[in-house]
Amino acid sequence: MASEDEINLLVIVVDVNPIWWGQQAQREPEFTLSKCLDAVMVMGNAHMAMTRTNKLAVIASHCQDSHFLYPSKSWRGGDSGAEDASSSGDGKYELLSIANNLIAEEIRNVMSKTEVRGNSTDTLLAGSLAKALCCILSIKTVYSFQHLRHVIKAAEDCALQYMNFMNVIFAAQKQNILIDACVLDSDSGLLQQACDITGGLYLKIPQKLALAQYLLWVFLPDSEQRSQLVLPPPAHVDYRAACFCHRNLIEVGYVCSVCLSIFCNFSPICTTCETAFKIQLPQMVKPKKKKLKQST
Amino acid sequence: MASLSEEVLLVVKKVRQRKQDGTLYLMAERIAWGPEGKDRFTVSHLYADIRCQKISPDGKAKIQLQLVLHTGESTTFHFSNESSALKDRDAAKELLQQLLPKFKKKANKELEEKNRMLQEDPVLFQLYKDLVVSQVISADEFWANRLGDINNTDPAPYNNKQEVGISGAFLADIRPQTDGCNGLRYNLTADIIESIFRTYPAVKQKYSENVPHNLTEKEFWTRFFQSHYFHRDRINTGTQDIFSECAKQDEKGLKSMVVQGVKNPLVDLLSLEDKTLDEGYGVSSGPPSTSNLNRSVKESSNAAIIKRFNHHSAMVLAAGSRKGETPTDQASETSSTDGNSRDSDFFQPPVRLQEAIEYEDLQRKNRPKTVALNLKKSDRYAHGPVPLLSQHYTTSQDIINSVNHIRHEMVNYKPNLTQVLSSTAATSAIAALSPGGVLMVAGAQQAINQMVPTEVQGELKHLYAAAGELLRHFWSCFPVNTPFLEEKLTGHLEEMLQTAYSKFHIWQTRRMMRKT
Repeated sequence: MASEDEINLLVIVVDVNPIWWGQQAQREPEFTLSKCLDAVMVMGNAHMAMTRTNKLAVIASHCQDSHFLYPSKSWRGGDSGAEDASSSGDGKYELLSIANNLIAEEIRNVMSKTEVRGNSTDTLLAGSLAKALCCILSIKTVYSFQHLRHVIKAAEDCALQYMNFMNVIFAAQKQNILIDACVLDSDSGLLQQACDITGGLYLKIPQKLALAQYLLWVFLPDSEQRSQLVLPPPAHVDYRAACFCHRNLIEVGYVCSVCLSIFCNFSPICTTCETAFKIQLPQMVKPKKKKLKQST
Repeated sequence: MASLSEEVLLVVKKVRQRKQDGTLYLMAERIAWGPEGKDRFTVSHLYADIRCQKISPDGKAKIQLQLVLHTGESTTFHFSNESSALKDRDAAKELLQQLLPKFKKKANKELEEKNRMLQEDPVLFQLYKDLVVSQVISADEFWANRLGDINNTDPAPYNNKQEVGISGAFLADIRPQTDGCNGLRYNLTADIIESIFRTYPAVKQKYSENVPHNLTEKEFWTRFFQSHYFHRDRINTGTQDIFSECAKQDEKGLKSMVVQGVKNPLVDLLSLEDKTLDEGYGVSSGPPSTSNLNRSVKESSNAAIIKRFNHHSAMVLAAGSRKGETPTDQASETSSTDGNSRDSDFFQPPVRLQEAIEYEDLQRKNRPKTVALNLKKSDRYAHGPVPLLSQHYTTSQDIINSVNHIRHEMVNYKPNLTQVLSSTAATSAIAALSPGGVLMVAGAQQAINQMVPTEVQGELKHLYAAAGELLRHFWSCFPVNTPFLEEKLTGHLEEMLQTAYSKFHIWQTRRMMRKT
């Protein structure tokens, strides 16, 4: 049993990319962002209900920014108690009802403020992860900790966030923070790496409708309990590097000794740092010319 | 004795010595006299041996030149040429005057050296007394081991004494005392005399020219102090003073000093002068206060005093820096009379400045030279291993539509947590997640219900149902409104849960033991 000082913090990062979700709503009207958020709330409630010392945080990852849905800055525990009491007529644990209401309110705010911008269509996932990391670490100093971060991702990887992403992943690894990933649409190499490095679970869900079930089954147990359970095995992670010239994933390549840039073909000058290289080619053996004696 | 290879500087005929007619020869290193008709010298003295020369006074009939040696001997030459005796004698005297000082030092040096050694080392002195004075060893033998070759080596290592500088106030220290009857008494010590000679080489030259031939020392100094040269704060009237030449020389020296300028810019005294605004704060030009004539007189007398003070200070400084220069070197002395030290060349000030502003431990350490990394396309590193091809593009219309749609959807969002999961979806998910399911590819290929025996499955189902029932009871107690519910929770239910837990635990251990 967890002692009073141990806090189990679950941070859920939800990808609310409006473009993807809008398209998804048109593709599959049964499973929309609302459904997704409901499933997330179920998981959050379950987590909080398991132990009193469990805590929850929810972050919405947008293409413009990342936003804390819960706990929100505008929440004051005592003041809004009267409001919430009316909606919790079903005898729910107050904390759960407050959390749900807050999340709903915040996501409504976030989505209503969405502006249409053509240039930034990618989810700022690295930023959200960094915020989650900060959130965890800010509490870490006070309490002793077990923590999980769970990412629900919808859209594709953004190549531009690669550096930030990797930094966040390594920071999480240093702090013993697990990153789990639940991917709805397409496989994400970055998240696979993140889960592999930090020791979390990566899952691509075949059925979006059963999201809640997957969340509760796979991701709700914390790291200690997971060792007792039979869970989906970790996927094979593609750690191949991409060459700098074509962005192909290569297994064997040429690396410049000065700037460490990777190429798939040898070139005498490194295009990144402009260092000239000389490679000793095998000596060409000139065929001996046999003097033909011309017989006269 | 007569070596013809010697350079002959002067030949004087008709010189009598000891009532004999002969010729006087002055060579490079010695003076010699040979009687007429004979080609060898009967009298020959090295300049080094001559202590001093004397001449007979002008009025006398006989024109004579006497050489006094260090040993005390004296030789007298009588110039008997009717027409040119005086001239000859003077010529000889002049030459000797120039030559003697050169050799004087060398002769004295040895004796000086010996004296110094004896004085400094009391043991040596005692030894000398014991051995040489009592004639056990001759003096030459005694000094043979000790002196070495003084004549050849540089006297610098023996010159342990520091040179004494000249006090700038040495002239002022000669305070004249009133003699009672309208006269002044000057007390001159040897130090003061030496200071005067060192500071004013011109005076020294005059001294050596005139004493002891024309004037006695007393007379010389009397003349000196009486001269306008000494009391200079006036315009030079060009009197028949023997010191008027000195004054002219000093003027020349001053001029050359001014021309040379300041060699060491770090000692820039010009910048220290006060720059005051004139009357009228520099705006208006004040009326000329005095007439031009007055001004010129006043100015010239002031200028004369100032000039004299400057010159005096410059000479004192120059004398301190001059080391071992011979007084015959008069021509170059005027050029060396600037007060600045000769060592400060133009190249020194920058060096001194550098020394003043640079500190060695603040300098950057000499690290091995490195080559900078020159990256042209550093954004390549930031790109992740995402293949470029796999991007699908959305049209702007798509974007707008999507955003509007989602906004519309989420405006009225209300969580509906009871309708999250349908049982069919749940069961299919569970099936996928169970061993043998879609997602459990790497795990056991069998379905789990084939791995676990039937009876265990049955028992587990019962246990699960019982636990579920208890939980339902537990959750129905909330919210705790009545004391009944509270009592049920804390007492009854807890007991039940404990029982259930222990039951499960027993079952588990039984199963584990069976397995093993």
